[in-house]
Amino acid sequence: MADKLKVGKQYPAMHWQVERGKIRELAGAIGDTNAIYVDPQAARAAGYDDCPVPPTFLTVPVMWCGSMAGAIGDLGINFAMVLHGEEEYEYYRPICAGDELTGIPRVTAIEEKTSKSGRKMDIVTIEILYTNQKGEKAARQRIGIVERK
Amino acid sequence: MEIYYEDIKVGDEMPPLVKGPVQKLQHVMYAGASGDFNPLHTDDDFAKAVGMDGVIAHGMLIMGFMGQAITDWLPRKYLKKFGVRFSGMTRPGNTITITGKVVEKQNSGDEHLVACELVALDENGDIKVTGHVLANLPTRI
Repeated sequence: MADKLKVGKQYPAMHWQVERGKIRELAGAIGDTNAIYVDPQAARAAGYDDCPVPPTFLTVPVMWCGSMAGAIGDLGINFAMVLHGEEEYEYYRPICAGDELTGIPRVTAIEEKTSKSGRKMDIVTIEILYTNQKGEKAARQRIGIVERK
Repeated sequence: MEIYYEDIKVGDEMPPLVKGPVQKLQHVMYAGASGDFNPLHTDDDFAKAVGMDGVIAHGMLIMGFMGQAITDWLPRKYLKKFGVRFSGMTRPGNTITITGKVVEKQNSGDEHLVACELVALDENGDIKVTGHVLANLPTRI
């Protein structure tokens, strides 16, 4: 089960350069054909500095940096019993191609719950605060993972 | 066409978005794009070995569909908050329909907020993902 003493623990910073190609790739995988994700001119016409990221883009640095896998291992969670329960973003300013993000992951909650069927589970919440290359707060991501017991 | 705070009423429905049928190839594309290489999404043998009928889609792919539905309606730059709860598994062949409606409007100082609740259902009406979004819209005044 998740180690409750680790609430508040911070993990190593993630550094991520936002590339046009990765934005195009994610929008393509979703099948989102909005021109702002692939065409910098369309993006500028819509009021962005360059192609903005799709709303769920911040999953990309987390997965590619291995941050969730690292946290799950450190918390003593059984990876085979993990489900992704919730995901949430707060957007503070646009994130566009060319931005350099720094994300600091932190464990903000570990709660034990019982499902309707009576099964016990731990809900672990990891929050990641992202700043950009100017030091401005860019976004906050909340990932809720469920460890079934 | 610009959309303004005054144009939106509580109870208004977001234009629905239909996605799919979801293809296994799309799971592979999403794995590569997102960096989530859990074989549960791409390897049928692995999925069967852990007790599933076969691969399931990444929950984040369905959240991505929901993000598309929202930003087809409200410009990306107005989103303030977007969150989901994953409820059910999506399998290859499922067709996902995203719907949503406005549940609250709040005008506080220089913010003109619109709150919506969303749901992603498959062709049988089974819930895959429920979501909420908060957008700060421009005002005509």
